[in-house]
Amino acid sequence: MTVHDMKHAASDSARLEAVGGRLSRVDGPAKITGAAKYAFEQQLDGLTHAVLVGATIAAGKVTAIDTRAAETAPGVLAVLTPDTIMELRGASDWFGNPPALSTYCPLAREVTFSGQHVAAVVAETFEQAVAAAALVKVWYDETPAIVDLSDGKAGDGIAIEAMTKEWGDAQAAFAEAPVRICAAYNTPREFQAAMEPHGLIARWQGDELTIWEPSQWLDGMARTYAEWFGVPFENVRLVSPYIGGGFGSKALALAHSAVAAAAAKMLGRPVKLVLNRPQNFTSYGGRAATRQTVAIGADRDGKIQSIVHRGVNETAVDGMWVEPLGSVTSIMYATPNFSSKQNVVRVNTVVPGAKRAPGENPSAFGIECAIDELAHELGIDPLEMRLINYAEQDPHTKKAWSTRQLREAFAAGAEAFGWAKRSPQPRSMRDGHQLIGWGVAAGTYPVRRAHGEAVVKILADGSVEVESSSIDMGQGTYTILAQTAAETVGVPVSQVSVKLGDSHFARAGVTGGSRLAGVMTGAVYKAAGQALDELVGLALSDPRSPFQALQANTLVVQDGRIASPRGEGPELSIAEFLSAVGRDQIEAKGDTLPVNTTPEQRYKNYTTIAMSIPHTEGDWSRYSWCAHFVEVRVDEDFGTVRVSRVVSALDSGRLYNPKLAESQWKGGIIMGIGQALLEEGIVDRRHGRIVNGNFADYMLPTNADIPDIQTISVGIPDPHSSALGGKGVGELAIVGIAPAIANAVFHATGKRVRDLPITLEKLI
Amino acid sequence: MNDQVTISPTTLSIHLTINGRDHALEIEPRVTLLDALRDRLHLTGTKKGCDQGQCGACTVHVDGERVLACLTLAAQVEGRSITTVEGLANEDGTLHAVQAAFLEQDAFQCGYCTPGQIMSAVACIREGHAGSDDEIREYMAGNLCRCGAYPNIVAAVRQAAKELSA
Repeated sequence: MTVHDMKHAASDSARLEAVGGRLSRVDGPAKITGAAKYAFEQQLDGLTHAVLVGATIAAGKVTAIDTRAAETAPGVLAVLTPDTIMELRGASDWFGNPPALSTYCPLAREVTFSGQHVAAVVAETFEQAVAAAALVKVWYDETPAIVDLSDGKAGDGIAIEAMTKEWGDAQAAFAEAPVRICAAYNTPREFQAAMEPHGLIARWQGDELTIWEPSQWLDGMARTYAEWFGVPFENVRLVSPYIGGGFGSKALALAHSAVAAAAAKMLGRPVKLVLNRPQNFTSYGGRAATRQTVAIGADRDGKIQSIVHRGVNETAVDGMWVEPLGSVTSIMYATPNFSSKQNVVRVNTVVPGAKRAPGENPSAFGIECAIDELAHELGIDPLEMRLINYAEQDPHTKKAWSTRQLREAFAAGAEAFGWAKRSPQPRSMRDGHQLIGWGVAAGTYPVRRAHGEAVVKILADGSVEVESSSIDMGQGTYTILAQTAAETVGVPVSQVSVKLGDSHFARAGVTGGSRLAGVMTGAVYKAAGQALDELVGLALSDPRSPFQALQANTLVVQDGRIASPRGEGPELSIAEFLSAVGRDQIEAKGDTLPVNTTPEQRYKNYTTIAMSIPHTEGDWSRYSWCAHFVEVRVDEDFGTVRVSRVVSALDSGRLYNPKLAESQWKGGIIMGIGQALLEEGIVDRRHGRIVNGNFADYMLPTNADIPDIQTISVGIPDPHSSALGGKGVGELAIVGIAPAIANAVFHATGKRVRDLPITLEKLI
Repeated sequence: MNDQVTISPTTLSIHLTINGRDHALEIEPRVTLLDALRDRLHLTGTKKGCDQGQCGACTVHVDGERVLACLTLAAQVEGRSITTVEGLANEDGTLHAVQAAFLEQDAFQCGYCTPGQIMSAVACIREGHAGSDDEIREYMAGNLCRCGAYPNIVAAVRQAAKELSA
């Protein structure tokens, strides 16, 4: 290598490491060598193993449990039933609302869904616990269950008034519109299906509880454990260094978590409990099944006059989940008249939960298919249709968009895809026996914001350490926080270590709603800035400082070295300087909360979602945006659909690390391909059981299902959305993929499938 | 006791050769290779995703061929040469070409399916099944990745295959 090349390499590496650089994952080497220890892979002395027994009915009472055979099986330490497990206290919900009941039993006497935990076996080894769990006999008094939304007993459900959004006179305007379409769109129960199952290790030492559990929200889950067991919040430590995928599912402490922690307390030994794969389909909620009707009235030139939207999602018999189905419907297109209302229907299921873009994802399936239907009705190109109705401001709040690069996304995506060459008529493009279809759809996700804190330390050896109880489940938190701290303090990334996933570190709120990167880069930027200020202040003022004689106003820290801005005087490494002034470290804790925040408010901020900042706060309406262009090939004889090409242009504002952001976007697109073509929880109509609760029958996309995917960033820094200008990344790209595919299938076949997934029997 | 009948022992004494090292184990016959690696030998690089042979996260090599450790009993592989992700890099820490390519191409996010993907990729290349992107997709289809790193995995396998044949 020549000297010239080396200089080049050095500047390349600086560009790579800065915020916005394409640095490879700093946690990558640990993950590719097997060195990364995930939460429940910790090795503890005296570890015991718990296995759960699930209900085989969906509704009814447990009348008896015979534990005798299990109790005498080799290695068994305890068999827990509703009668023998210790009583826990009720815990508040994630808004911080107090519990409805003062006590809580994580094993069910009254069964409200199939698979609900009714007993647990704890044994010396995993194999012994599995074998003994099979010996537990449970008797039930079974009552009729409501198996899903299509069950005759399900009814119309409960109106959720808070979901109602209305302006103008939508019904009258729809009735008078010269062109009208109205259709129903359904999405099935879907699952997050992270590759790492849910599970935990619980250990008590006196009244201090340590939980090793994959978690998207350490502080929120620690609060729940503390409340269940009536111990101070500080007594609970949650450890979650790596998370093997969450997608919304790992933010709460759940019934199985309570069983493990209770068993550990009762036995006085650490307990490991990991849900087996089928249990991962019944022990926590996936995406609720949804039904929507979308009616659009328009002028003959395609201008929308009215949108009338009605939605329904399933929820549990004993729990409430609202999947906000009007969230995209109400903001994507300009319309003078609008009405959206939503009901929820109770069925015998575990409480549904958050799966990547809850609300926005099914909402976009409805409106983005409906606008395509309207375009076809009018003979207008579906991309042109979207531009005709482009919302120049938030149609709901009437506020200005903070940034909305959606027009740019349509243009960049269409150009890269070659949309102009699309033949408008359905069934007009083919390759042999394959019908080819091109579809477009838009997506969006709100910029959810919150407050966070971080500790940044400058250590004696000149290295920088970042600490936060936030987490990395693959989004790249370790990497972007290293980049932020390195750039702010002025050291190479190789001198920064980031420590995450321990609730004893500086606190953080939930990692969900694509908010973490914006919150935490802001907190680290602030803490690192404070640490730098202290370092420079010390260098200017400490009597032992070699810089004191300069009488300078400021100093520059770059590449781990301190110098005056114009280069006169000494130049020292941070380590040399700290040694000269006799300091072993500088530590700064920074947070983004207002200065007068009380300790109670801080606790609430980190352990509930009650203090999230609305995305429409103040003068702006803040969203990420995207446009997806999809090509499908449909076998004319067999009805099989293959996605053969995807081009997506996305506006996530400024990207902190484009390499990692592109990976998340592609991941969202791929999960959307699964949603469109493969994924569906199938419920047995007799016992309300998920019959395909495993990876062979609940089909996820495989490598062979996925084509080349091109992503294009069209974002610009958005100062209203975050400290460093980014908007949300992780959830955006799944929004709009399913409708883009459905629209492409219509273009290929002339057949409109409004019921996901689009499987072959719906096409032939 | 009739010497024709042997009562099944509750535990077996076996030796496993893993990453070139010999490990003595006292285990029940029903213990899978996966649980032996993770729970007994603390080699947790090999992941348990489904425990049903459906996801590929537990892929290891037995005598150089890819095998699902969750569907293999530990006692079945005594005397065979087992390689896990921990044994892929050189002793000096130099990454295997496939590992280096995974890092460079960002072929993982959460990292949980990654050891299995890497073990499959090494075998896929060795089997001569990395000749085209379509072939890579097909022969890597037994390893699920929910984060959706598939296009980057294809790029990594393509890159590593090229380097390993050079």
